[in-house]
This record gives sequence, structure tokens and C-alpha cells, in this order.
Amino acid sequence: MVLGVLELEQVKKSYPESPGRRLEVLDIEHFSLACGEQIALEGRSGSGKSTLLHVLSGITSPDSGRVILDGIELGKLSEAHRDRVRADKLGMVFQSFNLLPGFTALENVLVAMSFGSGKADRRRAIDLLSAVGLEHRLSHRPAALSMGEQQRVAVARAIANRPRVVLADEPTASVDPSNQRTVVELLKKTCRDHGSALLIVTHSPEVASQFEVRVRIEDFNRVFARSMAASIATNIE
Amino acid sequence: MSLFGIALRSLRQRMATSLLTAFSLALGVALVVATLVTGGVVRQAFDSGSGLGYNMIVGAKGSPLQLVLNTVYYISRPIENIPFARYEDFLPAASRADGIDGTYAQFVATAVPICMGDYFRGFRVIGTNSAAFGKLKSGNVDPYRFSQGRNFTDEAFFEGVLGASVAASIGLKIGDTFSPTHGADDGAKHDPFTVVGILERTGSPIDRGAFVNMEGFYLQEGHAKPIDGHPTPASQSSEHNKDDGTRPLALPKEQREVTAVLLRTASAPGQPAELTAIGLRTLLNEGLDVQSALPIAEISQLLGLFVRPIELLLLLVTTMVVIVSAVGMLVSMIGSMMERKRDVAIMRALGARRSHVMIVVFLEAVLLAVGGGAVGWILGHVLVGAAGPWITSYAGVSASALSAAPGAELLLVPMLVLLAIAAGLVPALLAYRTDVSKWLQSSG
Repeated sequence: MVLGVLELEQVKKSYPESPGRRLEVLDIEHFSLACGEQIALEGRSGSGKSTLLHVLSGITSPDSGRVILDGIELGKLSEAHRDRVRADKLGMVFQSFNLLPGFTALENVLVAMSFGSGKADRRRAIDLLSAVGLEHRLSHRPAALSMGEQQRVAVARAIANRPRVVLADEPTASVDPSNQRTVVELLKKTCRDHGSALLIVTHSPEVASQFEVRVRIEDFNRVFARSMAASIATNIE
Repeated sequence: MSLFGIALRSLRQRMATSLLTAFSLALGVALVVATLVTGGVVRQAFDSGSGLGYNMIVGAKGSPLQLVLNTVYYISRPIENIPFARYEDFLPAASRADGIDGTYAQFVATAVPICMGDYFRGFRVIGTNSAAFGKLKSGNVDPYRFSQGRNFTDEAFFEGVLGASVAASIGLKIGDTFSPTHGADDGAKHDPFTVVGILERTGSPIDRGAFVNMEGFYLQEGHAKPIDGHPTPASQSSEHNKDDGTRPLALPKEQREVTAVLLRTASAPGQPAELTAIGLRTLLNEGLDVQSALPIAEISQLLGLFVRPIELLLLLVTTMVVIVSAVGMLVSMIGSMMERKRDVAIMRALGARRSHVMIVVFLEAVLLAVGGGAVGWILGHVLVGAAGPWITSYAGVSASALSAAPGAELLLVPMLVLLAIAAGLVPALLAYRTDVSKWLQSSG
């Protein structure tokens, strides 16, 4: 069996809801992202998309199950080691770009590099920003950049450490509709150029339609299936 | 990019808050530095009194502390004058006109008269004789040395010697003349004295004195004790009464008074000079017209009773100010930490370890503390420099921006680092414990 670059096996995640009760969010038997694969993961609000991304990235530990990134089981690592693996092997693009406001575009990329195993390579950071068309905006801080430009910085930052996987959480949510397609294409192209797999989480069918592989989280998150069943049972009663 | 660089940029991001926080700390540190330096300067000035070259002062009855402060440090006012004969009581036969040992001559190695009451541009003018720099030793050890010129001679009535600070402050040089004023800077102007020597800096109150031959001093208006049948001081002007055409007539002894007598007591065989001093002191104090004071004992008492407690109190108050500033820094950092949890979450999502963000926050605290501390240190010295003239006129000690209290000031460095650690601890823990998942979701 060929392992994907990112694998989930028997992963469950719940949060305390009230004393003695927990809210189940994830119950996934298996999920896999192959090397260089680009997948759009669709799901409506509250379907556990963000939690899934946090589990995949090692930010949140699952209650049970295994998360395997590039052959490394994250659950077996210490937190510090997990952070290092995340810095080296994962790139992240957030919904509101989440650039560090006190840092210039170039510094935002350099900061990401400084947490990885390699050294913060200024030349490479400039090249990455130039590749997304921001060679003239290197020394601008996020507040001085348009939303589109901020998102491009976020894309450059995500691939700063040559990650095996890029995870994007609603990357078009803050971009006006006319630019959504451009942002997604930029992400896809950049990941392709750098050999990174891409998993994009979105609630937008339009965005998902730009991917050959589209997956609905409800289709493999058994929590959703159970809640549907419970809802139906309640209605029958 | 190093963690230091990240910390620096985080501070830059909150420029106004960072500057205000550092400035509030700087003010606290400036107060501590100013207090330490001023206290150090005052203490050093008083400590320098332990090497006066004499161990006893005789003056008019009154407060022994006032006698010491006025005679040694040139602060406070003279109590009263004592008759010249009381000075002669300490002189050996060879130095007296009657050829008989003075009453207390056997107890005394050196006696130097001091006459006060005149000023020159804010500095005390002290009438004395050549023994002041010829027989007394600087710091009890070395003879007084002159950076320029020489000691005045007892025969030349209108010669004078300047302390190092006086010469530097007024800019007088050898051959220049200066005219003291009577009683205050705006008092009646006396005859001019010629500068024949400038003393090397001693670090003692001597640096702030202008010393003139007391024979010339006596001839000035208002300096002679009025006695029936004797000419008035005004008619005894140096310009008009010359016995041999080269110098004026000396003031008759009956009309002379001295403000104090500086004594270096003799060592009786097998006994230290201090023991002689104690015996002589008792003897003198039993009399009705003079008192004797042991300057070191008075100074120690002054330091113990007033200077050190006040210094300690001031230090305590200013330390409280620094602690309040540090609490301000803590509050500011906690406040900013709450705002920056999202930034911390982003960094953690990018792969920063908990220790990374904790170190960044600590570095920010250290940068604020050290930056504020450095500015405060400079500001403290500037404050001392600005208050220097005031300190000099009220406390009688020289203080400038370059004055320092090295030991105490060096302690500030570890104190500031500790302060930074204390102020950075809570925000660093907050950063350490930031729930990345929660803050990323809430920002999404």
C-alpha cells in the first residue's frame, strides 16, 4: 500500500461542551492526500473543516487515531518536534491571510523561514514574492497592501520552507468574487511549481469547482452521518 | 530572522506603547540614578573629610556639627569668632612673641588658624597662614601639591592660593588678582589678593576654597575687632600704611580674632594622637569661651543620623517608582499580549515552538527594560548635571553629569534584567499558553 503524503486513520476529535458532555466534531476512518495532489475539501459552516485542518497540521491533537505527515506519525512526537515538522513540511494559508501586521511582506516570509530547519534565505524570500508578482511591495507592511496582495504574500509564505503539503483554510473568503479564481489559480500553480500537495478547505462550490478532486467532508466525517441519522429519527418520532 | 529581530519588530509594531512604556521606566531609573549619584557625591564629599590632615577643630561655643560643617565643608555659617589668644594657646614658644609655650602647646603638633566671612563669586574665602598647606598634609599623607605656582608666604600679606575647582570655575591664573567681598557675594569689596598658587585637585572641600594670607585678611574693612584707642580698620588700609614701604602694618593682636583653629594633636610617648585629642577635647570643653570638635566623629554621626537614612529613604521611594514603572510595563505587556495572541497563534501555526514565542516576549521585556534603563541612566546623569549648581550651593559638594556612584549604578544592570524577567514572566506565560487553534479560528 502506497502511503499518501498526509494520512488520517481512525481520527476522532471532540471538545468539552458542558460538564460531563463532549461535542464530537470529527470521526474519520481514513483520509489521504497523495504527493503533489490537489484537493478541494468542501463543507458547510460547522462541519469540522477547520478542526480537521488543525488536526492535520498538528496544531490540535486528535483524541484518538493517527495523523501521518510524510511518513511521520505526529502523535508520537513531542510538541516541539511536531512544531518543527510543521514548519518544515507544512505550509498554511489562512482565511484572513493572517500576516503579521508589524512585519513587511518580505519579513513575513522570512519569519516563516526562520522557524524551519533551513536558514532564513533573503534571496529566496525575494524570489518567492517576485514569483507572486510582489517584487515591488517587499518592504510594505500588510496594512499598506491590498487584500489580493496580502493573499499573495500569504501564498509565498506558505511555500517558504518547501513544504510537502500546503493547507489552505477558506483562502478566498476575504477576496472579492472577481479575484477568487485568480487566488486559487495562484495557489494551485505555486504548489505545482514547488511540488507541494494542496488541500484547500472551502464552503464555496465555485472555488471547489476549480479542482479536479472535490471531497465533501460530510461524506467521510461520520459525526455528520450520525447527526443526520439522529435528526431523521427525531423527525420520525 | 532571529528571535531578537522578531522581538524588535514586535516592539516597532507597537511603537507608541513601547516608547511610552520605556519612557515611564526611564523616568523611574533616572530618579534612582540621580538619587544614587547625588547620595554618592555627598557621601564621598563627607568621607573625604576623614583625610583632612588635622583631627580637631577649636571654635566658638555652639553646635560642634555647625563648627565642623563650616570649617571643613564651607557650608553653614560660622558660629562666632574666638580671640586670637586662644589660637596662640596652641603655639609653641618659638612661634609666640612672648617666647613661652602656649597653654596647650604640648598637646599639639600643628595649629592652623582659620578666618572666615568673605566670599569670591560664590566661593568661600578663607584667611589662614602658610602652615595650612605647608604643614598640614592632604589626606593625612602627602603634602599639598600645587598644579601651578606655590604656597603663599606669611610675609606677603596680599597673596592667595586657589583650590582646583575655584581656579577652574573662575578661570583665574597665576598673577591674576581677585577681590573678596565682605559677608556675601554682594557685600563690600575688599582689597585685591594676587594668585600665587593653584592647588592640585584633592577631591576634598579644599578644592572649593580661595585661601588668602590672614594678615591681609585682617586688614580688610570690618575684619578687625573694634577696640578703643586703636585705629579703625578702614584707616588701616593696605594701600596707606606701610611700615617699610613694601608692606602694610599688621593688625594688632588685640584686634584679631579667628573663626576656628585646626589642630593636629601630638602623640604623647606610647600613646596615639587620638588619645591626646580626647584628653585635650575634654580639657577645652570644660572652659567657657571655646569648644573643640572631632571632625571625624561629627561627620560619622552626621552620616549615620541624617545622610544615610535620608539616602536610604530616597532610594526606597525611587525604587518604588521603578517598581511602579515595572508594573506599568507589566500591565502594558499583558495588554499587548492579549491583542497579540493572534500573532502568537500565527507564529505557532508557522512552526514556532512555545519556547520561541516565550523567548520573543522575554526579549521584548528585556529590550524595553534595557532601553528604558539606558535612557533613564543618561537622564539621571543629566538631572544631576542640571542640579549640580544647586547641589553645590546647598550641600557644598561638587556634582556634575559625570559624577558617578559606580558600585550602586552597576547594580542597576542586574536589577533591570530581573525587572525585565519579572515584567515579562506573565506575558511570556500567556504567550506560551496561547491556544493556537482557538485564536486561528476566531481570526478566521
